[in-house]
This record gives sequence, structure tokens and C-alpha cells, in this order.
Amino acid sequence: MIHLTVNGKERDWDALPGDTLLDVLRREGITGVKKGCGSGDCGACTVLLGGRAVNACLVLAAKADGAEVVTIEGVSSDGALHPVQESFLEAGAVQCGYCTPGMVLSAIALLARNASPTEHEIREAISGNLCRCTGYVKQVEAIERAAARLRGER
Amino acid sequence: MSLRQVQRIARPTTVEEAWAIRRAAPDASRFLAGGVDLVLYAPPSVTTLIDLSRLGLDGIREEGDDLVLGAMATLSQALESPLVAGSAGGFLRDVLRRVASPPQRNLATIGGAAVRGHPWSDVVTALLVLDAQLETYDGREARLSLAAAGAGEGPSPLVRAIRIPGAWRGSRAAFEKFSRAAVDVAMLNCACSALVERGTCREARVAVGGTPALARRLLDVERSLAGTKLTAVETRAAAEEAARGIEARDDLRASAAYRRRLARVGVERCLESIAGRGEETG
Ligand code: FES
Ligand code: FES
Repeated sequence: MIHLTVNGKERDWDALPGDTLLDVLRREGITGVKKGCGSGDCGACTVLLGGRAVNACLVLAAKADGAEVVTIEGVSSDGALHPVQESFLEAGAVQCGYCTPGMVLSAIALLARNASPTEHEIREAISGNLCRCTGYVKQVEAIERAAARLRGER
Repeated sequence: MSLRQVQRIARPTTVEEAWAIRRAAPDASRFLAGGVDLVLYAPPSVTTLIDLSRLGLDGIREEGDDLVLGAMATLSQALESPLVAGSAGGFLRDVLRRVASPPQRNLATIGGAAVRGHPWSDVVTALLVLDAQLETYDGREARLSLAAAGAGEGPSPLVRAIRIPGAWRGSRAAFEKFSRAAVDVAMLNCACSALVERGTCREARVAVGGTPALARRLLDVERSLAGTKLTAVETRAAAEEAARGIEARDDLRASAAYRRRLARVGVERCLESIAGRGEETG
């Protein structure tokens, strides 16, 4: 059993000693966290752990005990999409969508620390999120838009 | 992947306690730092994980002129630390920026990266040229040089911190990594550092990793560089000596012959950058 705050809700979660955070979240229906590779390579399982983007498949659930976790399910508020999600839609940065939750969370983590990232910094921040569809151009554009939006410029 | 075989997570609060649990079960236990490697590669015999997160080993601090990186500091913490940025011209920070991906760097610890010793490790290569020492505990506190670590019988000691001696914190250092994609592991990596006084290289460190073996220092090359002015001719000669001196082998990432070329180019670039003639790369 571990204690986690997931998307603002604090409670105990069933966990075996060898479970990863990804196992625990998906088992309980938080399936916005994708299992692409299970080995830290694809970034589809990205969540925010204590505000930082991590690969949930590489985190032992026991290590997350007591921590705060945000998944894609928790970034919109009152039915309104997060500005990063809005920007992904506007820029056409979503194709099959499998990488999108992880990509959006990496972007949110970046923008929380750096309100005006350069293109290089954006590419660096999503370098652990593989996308098989888009070629990354629209996603970089989406994150640039989101940054402007969060700075109140659009 | 999950660690189905794990039955227990121990949460010691002192290094003595942690070591006692480890020593009592050499095959069945492992230290849990960032956990990244354990999740991927823990042997099936491991049923107890010893979580090191309550030992207070995650600080980054100065001790005299030395820089001491708590073993549990994540690569991201090290990368963002002003003390790291202020050491060897930001060398280690710049290396860490090129290690793995940001989400992985938020998990992996500097201690884990130093001792796990993946053959392609960029961190080990970089720490070798800073003359890094491991502060360990295995019943008693000790300090050993990273270059000498890894030998010995039984479970390897608990690493409390990585210490970078003051002299090498003030060195000029440079790093090169060759990989197919930014987040891919290196086909080869190398690092050089030098203590330069009035234009003369007093002492140098040269390490090459991913050959595909784990990084090691090239002592002959280091000796050749001592006393030189790091002229273009001298750096070229040292780079050629380095290329001859590595134990290059073929593997799925690159051939031995290609690795020798990379070593020559990489070491020369590092030394040129130390000599102030380098071009921006990476
Ligand atoms: S599922 Fe975690 S990185 Fe691919
Ligand atoms: S949109 Fe399909 S993988 Fe990125």
C-alpha cells in the first residue's frame, strides 16, 4: 500500500513492492498514462512527480510514496483544457495521439520553470518523448504558442 | 517491466543500518537510489530493495575547495546546481545536459550513474577527468578514487557522495560524445581536462568511454601532455596516441576502426577547446 496524491486527490493505492508507478496508475484506470515501451525510452508514460516530468515506467511505486503525481487526466480544470492542450489542438500537433499525454506533461514541466524557452530548449525538453507520427515540428510550434499564451501574449 | 520478485522495501535511516541489511543478503538485496537501473536490470535473485532516500545524501555542497555531490542528488539537481555550474567552467553541467532525457535525469542519481558503470556512461567519463573520488561506507567510512573503484570481493560499498577535489574543480575541461540521436547512448565518448599555468599544461586527464568498454583514463596520453603548451601539433599527437591507446572493439553501435577515428577526433576537439581554439560543437 502506498500513499499518493494523484491529480489533487490524496489516498492509499494498492501496490506490490515491485510495482512501478505506471503499473499502479493504469491498474486503477488512469490510462492517460501510456505504456509504450516499459523501459524508459519512449516517454509515453510521462507524469509529473513532485512537479518534475519522469518516466512512470522507471519509477518504483514505493519510491513515490507520499508524493504528488499529475497525469494528463489532471491538467484540465472544470472541463477547460490546459493552455498547452489548447495549443496542441490549434497547431495540429496531435495525430494518433499516443505520445500526446507525455508530450503535453513534458511541456507543462518545461513552461513551469522557463516561461520563454528557446526552440532548442523546447526540443531538449521533449527529447525523451518519441513521436512516430508528427515529425515534432508542430509540437514545437504548439509549445511556443502555449508559452506565449501563458505569458498572456495571445 | 516490473520487479515481481521483490518482496520487501527496507527504509533505513542511517548508513550503518543500510549497510547491515545489504551485507546480510549480498545476492538478495540491492541499494535503491534512483531505481532506473533496478527496474530495468535487477537480477531475479533480488527480493529486498534498500531505499537510500532517507539517509540525507542528496545535498550538493562545498567543503573547502572541494565540491561534494551527495550520491542521491539527481542528475537534474546536479545540472541545476550553481556550484556545479561554477566548477571547471561548467564542464559537468554541460555533460549532464547531454545525458539521457530530462525525465530520466529527474530520476537517475549521480551516485547511481557513477557506480553502475554502464559501458556507455557519459557521467563516468566526465568524473574520471575531474579526478572524482567516491565517499563510501562498508562498515567504515572511506574515500577511493573512481578510477580504482569497482574491484574487490563481496557487495560494493554504499556510496555516500562523489567528491571533486579543488584542484580539478579549477581545471579546464571538455567533453565529446558521439551518438546516433541526442538521447541515444554513445558510440564513444571522451573527456579531457588540464591544469594550465602560464600557458603550460602542468597536468592532464584524458578518458575515453564506450569503446565499447567502460571509460578508463589513458595514462600515457596524460603523461605526454604534461609540460606541453597544448599547441595544435601537440594536441594532434595526443589525439593520435589516444586513438591507438583505447581497447576498441566492434559491437552493434560501431566498429572498432570507427571508434578509433572517433577517439582521435573527440580527444582532439576536447584538447583544442581546452587550449582555447575549439569550435562550438554539440
Ligand atoms: S513506457 Fe515509459 S518510457 Fe516508454
Ligand atoms: S501523434 Fe502519433 S505518436 Fe505522436
